[in-house]
Amino acid sequence: MGQLGVTEGGMTGTIDIARLVDQEGGHVARRIYTDPEVFEREQESLFRRAWGFLAHESEVPGAGDYVERQLAGEPVLVIRGRDGTVRAFLNSCRHRGMRLCRADRGSASFLRCPYHGWAYSPEGDLVSVFAEELYDEAHLDKSALGLIPVTQLDSYKGFVFGCWSEETPPLPEFLGNMRFYLDILVARTPGGAEMVGPPQCWEVHTNWKFATDNFTGDNFHLYTAHGSIAELGLLPPDPMSLAFGNLVQAERGHVLHVVPGPPIPEAEYFGLPMELRPAIEETLSPQQAEIARGHSFSVGTVFPNLSFMQVMVQGDLRSPPTPFLSFRLWQPTGPTTTKVWSWLMVEKEASPEYRKATYEAYVRTFGPSGIFEQDDMENWEECTRVNKGAIAQRYNLHHGMALHLPPDTDFPGPGTAWPGSYGERTQLCFYGEWKRWLTEEEPWA
Amino acid sequence: MTQPVPVGSAGYNIVLEWLYREAALLDNMDFTAWLDLMAPEIVYEMPTRQSVYQKDGEGYDPDFGFFAESHSSLETRVKRLQTDQAWAEQPGSRTRHLVSNLLVDRLADGSFLAATSFLVTRIRSDLPYDFFTGQRRDVLRPEGDGLLLAKRTILIDQTVLKSYNLSIFF
Repeated sequence: MGQLGVTEGGMTGTIDIARLVDQEGGHVARRIYTDPEVFEREQESLFRRAWGFLAHESEVPGAGDYVERQLAGEPVLVIRGRDGTVRAFLNSCRHRGMRLCRADRGSASFLRCPYHGWAYSPEGDLVSVFAEELYDEAHLDKSALGLIPVTQLDSYKGFVFGCWSEETPPLPEFLGNMRFYLDILVARTPGGAEMVGPPQCWEVHTNWKFATDNFTGDNFHLYTAHGSIAELGLLPPDPMSLAFGNLVQAERGHVLHVVPGPPIPEAEYFGLPMELRPAIEETLSPQQAEIARGHSFSVGTVFPNLSFMQVMVQGDLRSPPTPFLSFRLWQPTGPTTTKVWSWLMVEKEASPEYRKATYEAYVRTFGPSGIFEQDDMENWEECTRVNKGAIAQRYNLHHGMALHLPPDTDFPGPGTAWPGSYGERTQLCFYGEWKRWLTEEEPWA
Repeated sequence: MTQPVPVGSAGYNIVLEWLYREAALLDNMDFTAWLDLMAPEIVYEMPTRQSVYQKDGEGYDPDFGFFAESHSSLETRVKRLQTDQAWAEQPGSRTRHLVSNLLVDRLADGSFLAATSFLVTRIRSDLPYDFFTGQRRDVLRPEGDGLLLAKRTILIDQTVLKSYNLSIFF
């Protein structure tokens, strides 16, 4: 790739993925957001190999409780067994492949296929088949016909992740240093955080990477993409006033930003309620507590497509700045279509008043109706539409902000931190990791 | 105690005309005038919905939605839409709020409970239609010689919104 970022090479045939991301120069080819062949490669090399978020344990509190989710585009049933263990299976009967459970959520003492009646326990064992007396032993071994488990399943602080590959390293290794930062968000009180209600779900005609790109810690889109909020006076008037803080590569493609708010006690600890702060100080390590204390905002992504945002916002002109924590799953459903899942989280110890305030702050500002986020999706859809063009694809996209700055060695957290929160380091970390998974046999090595 | 208000009666027609005029204000993007129809104490909400087996109810979550609005937050939304940089509505959507199947009950305090089915269409740019269907359950209370919307619950039929945002009102 040259300085102007012109994509070389043919228009058709097998794509040389390695040429599509130039981490050093800060360029990304437009076709990574639109090309069906890139999409297929992603499904095969990334989403069927990487750990993907499925559900939070608080969503299936009781025995037999389940939710249906997607892992690499295939339906997965996340269900708590009678032994209290959360398991995950392909939501498909072993007989004809029928979608076994057809609700988004529910509770069942057994799972009976609507087609021919094969029935499974919440632990995934095949317990009975219709007209069982008509099979001989050679043709029905129920012990070998349990539900197909997700190949690897593990959870971190209540977040259940699945992986369709045996070769991928275990979850703790995959998350690496990102665990340090996740703890600051979801394990900062003894009880930890839980999901509030079901996820909001909606479909966006964009490539999942535009959403992820935004949630790698793009802090400098605020004053243009959300210029309406600034016009209303709900952002500080100086567009550089939110440029402080750090961009952080926790581990490989796991990235985030941390941004300080105004220098007032209310804005410390992400603006969380005063009554929770002693517990936060006690629960977190000194380095984690220092980061929590010094910042009001953190947005980031657990590679590849689970993002989070911990921000303080005003849900309306008369409300005080109120924090919320949201997790996002950007589920690719096609080269240019994405299903968004958005959860709100709150500390188990939170008061009813705070739960109401954080919910209202979230729903009024983010999610599909949010006064911030409605404009984000407008951008991502239009970017995707325009980038489909053959002429457009001759020219690469620009990711060059603040690449000349050396790392900030005073930052208390692990990984690599760069000074300031306006920059494109974290995006390039994400795209670099994306390239590794699409081109290397053992990208984790 | 609720008292059915017969279709075609004077009370019914007052509510029907109010709903038609409200829909016209939304379709004409006259949000300032629309806001004048909202009571100061308004509760404006759209719960999320999930696909669940019938034994588990309708699948609405009363505590987690797509809208949870007060008068102040609706006013904020309106003011935002009137800035130059509300990109989701710059240029503006073309919407049609089709409101039908109206059933009206009178509440003990004199308010009207108005249940309607809606079909809201939206076109942005030259893109395909967005369709939203569902039921609205409104509480309209008398104020002066008119009515104000005191509560609106929007029960949307989609579990996954087939639309990239909700930058419009329902």
